[in-house]
Amino acid sequence: MSLKEFITEHKQALLVILVAIILSPLFALAADAVGYSEPLEKSAEHLGAEENPIYGGILPDYSVPGIDSPIGTFLASLLGSLVTLIIVFGITKVIKGRNN
Amino acid sequence: MHIPDGFLDMNIAIIYYILTAIVIGICIYKINKGGIDEKRVPIAGLVAAGIFAAQMLNWPIPGGTSAHFVGGAVAAIILGPFLGCIAMVSVVTIQALLFGDGGITALGTNLFSMAIVDVFVAYYIYRTLSKKNTKIAAFVAGWIGITLGAINTGIATGLSSTFQYSITTTVPIMGIWHGALGIIEGLITVAIVSYIEKNRKDLLFDSNNWKNKTRGGKR
Repeated sequence: MSLKEFITEHKQALLVILVAIILSPLFALAADAVGYSEPLEKSAEHLGAEENPIYGGILPDYSVPGIDSPIGTFLASLLGSLVTLIIVFGITKVIKGRNN
Repeated sequence: MHIPDGFLDMNIAIIYYILTAIVIGICIYKINKGGIDEKRVPIAGLVAAGIFAAQMLNWPIPGGTSAHFVGGAVAAIILGPFLGCIAMVSVVTIQALLFGDGGITALGTNLFSMAIVDVFVAYYIYRTLSKKNTKIAAFVAGWIGITLGAINTGIATGLSSTFQYSITTTVPIMGIWHGALGIIEGLITVAIVSYIEKNRKDLLFDSNNWKNKTRGGKR
């Protein structure tokens, strides 16, 4: 399957993913505004558990070091989605066996 | 639901790493033995990429305590339990390695919650309930899958010293909050599955087809 065939065949899915990527900086700002925190953090706070970060990642916290946060978030979303697409495509191709 | 480093006792983290590795091994074996149609390879990539992107959208619920879509049920329903698990394993691992979301020591546990419990619970709920009504089945799969995944996170943290071995606190906090927030996960799951069922039913995992292929052996 060529890249062109892939895009034509899965236009809708790609569009949905692109919309989510474009929306992600807005959601990040909105999450900041409401003080987003998850139940796990609530539980940790309640019992006094503290994080002990040993690795921050290449793009820490879905941002690109040195780039303003909305654009950084957008780039992190775009890159993350692309990397995920390629890696899962590759893994599936390798492990899929030889049916059909 | 992504546990960071420092939250888990090392023995708990190791046990979950081992359990997760065993299940991943079984999934790869099952996929390899059952075989997957060539045209489903890009679909696996797309589902995983879509789940990654959707997980970026934190729900801005006023008051603070919130969550985001996880997607184990969507992966399970579209890709089946084994490939769905592998897709979720990839998403959660990329989040940890590339973005530092979820700890390295906690990765086995996070995978167990989101790529194993969520996926397999959702799959079997969907398979059972979809005989009657696929919409209700997708909703309940999304809802209960994520709630039990969160309860596993509660168990792992509640067995750790940093959480004062207070499993009777961590499990209710995780279960009740994610049980309530999980309704949104259920609604998103039913929206996605209904849309695909209506427009591209060919994309959904067909367990009968899988079984026939497996039983038929090599062709």
